[in-house]
Amino acid sequence: MANTWALCALWVGLALAATLLAIWFKISTALSEIVVGTVAQLVIGVFLTGLFGFAQGGLAGNTQWITFLAGTGAIVLTFLAGAELDPVIFKAKWREASIIGLAGFFGPFLGCTAIAHYVLHWAIMPSWLCGVALSTTSVAVVYAVMLELGFNVTEYGKAILAACFINDLGTVIALGLIFSPFTIKTLIFVVVSIVVFVALPFLTPWFFKKYGGRVSELEAKYLLFFLFAMGGLAVWAGSEAVLPAYMIGMVLAGTVGKDHSLIRRLRTLTFGLLTPFYFIRAGSFVSVPALMAAPVTLLVLFGAKSLFKAIAVYPAVRVHKYDGKAGAYYTLMMSTGLTFGTISALFGLNHQIITQAQYSYIVGTVIASAVIPTMIANSFFLPRHLLPHSQAGKKAGQEIMRPVPAEEG
Amino acid sequence: MGSPVFVGIQRILVAFDASPHAEHALDVALSMAGDMKAKLFVISVIRPPEPAESAEFHAVLEDGQERYEKCFIPLRERAKQKDIELETDIVLGHPAEQIIHKADTIQASLIVMGKRSHTILHRWMLGSNSERVLRYAHCPVMIVH
Repeated sequence: MANTWALCALWVGLALAATLLAIWFKISTALSEIVVGTVAQLVIGVFLTGLFGFAQGGLAGNTQWITFLAGTGAIVLTFLAGAELDPVIFKAKWREASIIGLAGFFGPFLGCTAIAHYVLHWAIMPSWLCGVALSTTSVAVVYAVMLELGFNVTEYGKAILAACFINDLGTVIALGLIFSPFTIKTLIFVVVSIVVFVALPFLTPWFFKKYGGRVSELEAKYLLFFLFAMGGLAVWAGSEAVLPAYMIGMVLAGTVGKDHSLIRRLRTLTFGLLTPFYFIRAGSFVSVPALMAAPVTLLVLFGAKSLFKAIAVYPAVRVHKYDGKAGAYYTLMMSTGLTFGTISALFGLNHQIITQAQYSYIVGTVIASAVIPTMIANSFFLPRHLLPHSQAGKKAGQEIMRPVPAEEG
Repeated sequence: MGSPVFVGIQRILVAFDASPHAEHALDVALSMAGDMKAKLFVISVIRPPEPAESAEFHAVLEDGQERYEKCFIPLRERAKQKDIELETDIVLGHPAEQIIHKADTIQASLIVMGKRSHTILHRWMLGSNSERVLRYAHCPVMIVH
């Protein structure tokens, strides 16, 4: 067995390096950790394992504790994503949100599944998983765009945000149920889930009010208990632990989600310890040789994801009267979905639904759909919508600012 | 001939990111606003990680809001002492775009910002905010070194 502390130091060292890269290049830590995981796997395979016999079995190896920390990271991250829902907006806009969100989910889900099956000739189950993994959107990206443009306060902006939750809910439900064997266990899981999801919004505030607010962090233990218990039930039923985690986050968004102090403490736990293990592990399974062997596959999947997402999302963006370029840009930004994309792909790999090569293509596509719009935005995107006005103003500005001798002033 | 002064400057916009360069730019802007009786606008831009991921994005947003609000407390005091009308704003997005947008909105007479020294790689990957503002702003821009 490998030296646990040395292995742990290696992982945390990689997490530290990933965080530094994220800071330097202003990219999300998740993206940085996936890339670092992929590169580290190559380096470790060649040097550390080959030369020194360290980290046998690769970066992730067969160590249960890494799998546990990574899995917990995915669960808590999904919970936090669900807890960001605004229930008031959701209740007011659920009808519009459902239409847009379901379109945003089904467009790329069905489209990418068809492309994987009929163009790439993947078997049907890997194709479905590919569709699920590439169907996600990123609520955070959309929210960021909305905040930048001030649309977050408009009725339509709120509906779009709520739609993003529906889109991701579609992904999580599809992941949790499509690959489930549908036995009596599935029925038990669904019934218990419904009971828990209905009870938690009432039970949680009462419980926190009665026993919470102590240094013993009862709230965190309470949440982790339900996340693990429901995750355990989901896995027992052949489903995926992130499905109940997202649902628990959503049903507690109005109570726990508003407790900023608690959410912050959970974030510290998540970013400081859990998610680095999750994202680095997800990156470590990406096979660079597989990607290099068939780059066209990656291009096809990336094209399919962008195309079908655009078909579903672009009409919604056009309502805001964006011109073609800006509309395309925002649509492209809405096509990112690192968290649920990698969770879905990793689920497929762990359950032998997809091969490591297919996993690599899916994660590669997820990363590409995150990186390419970012690169375009950073390198080429300019505030062109301000340009005509700016150029006119610049001439006027040159007249305003003229140096004159102090005596005259 | 004495030091040059600029006429017609009524609204000065300072881009503030809490760096030493931005602090220096702020000092210059405060001094200019005091001399010219101009209104001072300070904008701080929170740049989300790209691509924004749910939990991290909200953490960055909250952290940025708190950090800049803290920075604005002594600034307000300084402005009050100098009898300068001050307006602060915290926004989210690409710094250059948000600075230009704010300058347009308030019809700024001058933008003052600090220049951060970036490596060639950094500039190629992310671009320089001051260069972008210089290129696209509708009003004069002062880069304080």
